[in-house]
Amino acid sequence: MSTITNSTNIFWQECQIGKPDRQKLLNQKGCVVWITGLSGSGKSTLACSLGRELHTRGKLSYVLDGDNLRHGLNKDLGFKPEDRTENIRRTEVAKLFADAGLICVASLISPYRRDRDACRAMLPDANFIEVFMNMPLQLCEARDPKGLYKLARSGKIKGFTGIDDPYEPPLNCEIEIKQENGVCPTPTAMAGQVVSYLENKGFLRS
Amino acid sequence: MVSNVGNSTNILWHDCPIQKRDRQQLLQQRGCVVWLTGLSGSGKSTLACALSRSLHARGKLTYILDGDNVRHGLNRDLSFRAEDRSENIRRIGEVAKLFADAGLICITSLISPYQKDRDACRALVPEGDFIEVFIDVPLHVCEARDPKGLYKLARAGKIKGFTGIDDPYEPPSSCEIVLQQQQGNGFKSPCEMAEIVISYLEEKGYLRA
Repeated sequence: MSTITNSTNIFWQECQIGKPDRQKLLNQKGCVVWITGLSGSGKSTLACSLGRELHTRGKLSYVLDGDNLRHGLNKDLGFKPEDRTENIRRTEVAKLFADAGLICVASLISPYRRDRDACRAMLPDANFIEVFMNMPLQLCEARDPKGLYKLARSGKIKGFTGIDDPYEPPLNCEIEIKQENGVCPTPTAMAGQVVSYLENKGFLRS
Repeated sequence: MVSNVGNSTNILWHDCPIQKRDRQQLLQQRGCVVWLTGLSGSGKSTLACALSRSLHARGKLTYILDGDNVRHGLNRDLSFRAEDRSENIRRIGEVAKLFADAGLICITSLISPYQKDRDACRALVPEGDFIEVFIDVPLHVCEARDPKGLYKLARAGKIKGFTGIDDPYEPPSSCEIVLQQQQGNGFKSPCEMAEIVISYLEEKGYLRA
């Protein structure tokens, strides 16, 4: 019996079927691929194309997109710093997906280093793969796929990452996606980079 | 284009080429939520494990969201006050929805005492994909078992607001499966109860794509 912050009198319930069994069933290893970067840097695009590449290889993945999470689990949260932190904290759900044996692709701006590091700490055994979409602000702003930079520049949105809220780039991530000679890699090429990493590290077999 | 949902402003739903039906094809099963509800000590966690073991033996992918386990992580900021119980159930409902969308048979195991909260979770998933299982074991049997020593603490007034003692349990008025343990003079075993649930899942087509 234990007390974990506000939850009193709780017990850890063990079960015979665990992660190793599920990984064997799926023939892969559960992990979290965490895609971070400015709005418009291509996170959701990469997440989807990665999901497609993995599916064609018979691997089970699931995309946790920041916006999609904010439609459900996190619909009670705004964009104030403490809400952003809680948004990331609740991405502990990614840990559950990894435990279930899936390759969980989390796609969120996740601008604060401290929060991303907290997620990394949640996942033991190097099962956290941080992917930095290193695209320049002007490129993201020129794309402005959701019209948000325009709203932010005209002051209609406050605290928008990259404009009036900071983005802290990773200091030590597993994969960095960036332009080659000013040209962006295609979604398929970016996905290929991540898939190669996963393959080399043994995540695509049990 | 962008919309506001709750407190989240300027968000856009992102669709992916790989959808639920693709994952279900890969897994050869259909995603759903098996929601186990009942008093503390009624046997929810035991049934959840028996179910997952039996389904695993049939090559099906399941995941258990146990109330106590989730309160170690995602829901560690929540207490047992009524509003926090509701939030606990809401969050587990939302996570179960994601697992079902991923193609898994997601088994939730928590007291979930309030009808309104269970109904709200039902509304999150497509019709038919929420399978509510009421483990109908009388209070005195649960209390006699008292597997975690909590009824004793509750009776001694050391825990307040304990379900069944000084907080209500609202049994489902209309759920997919009711499991009553007594069978003549004996009790149904966890495996026997698991088979009842599995027969339901099989009949409704959840154990194939």
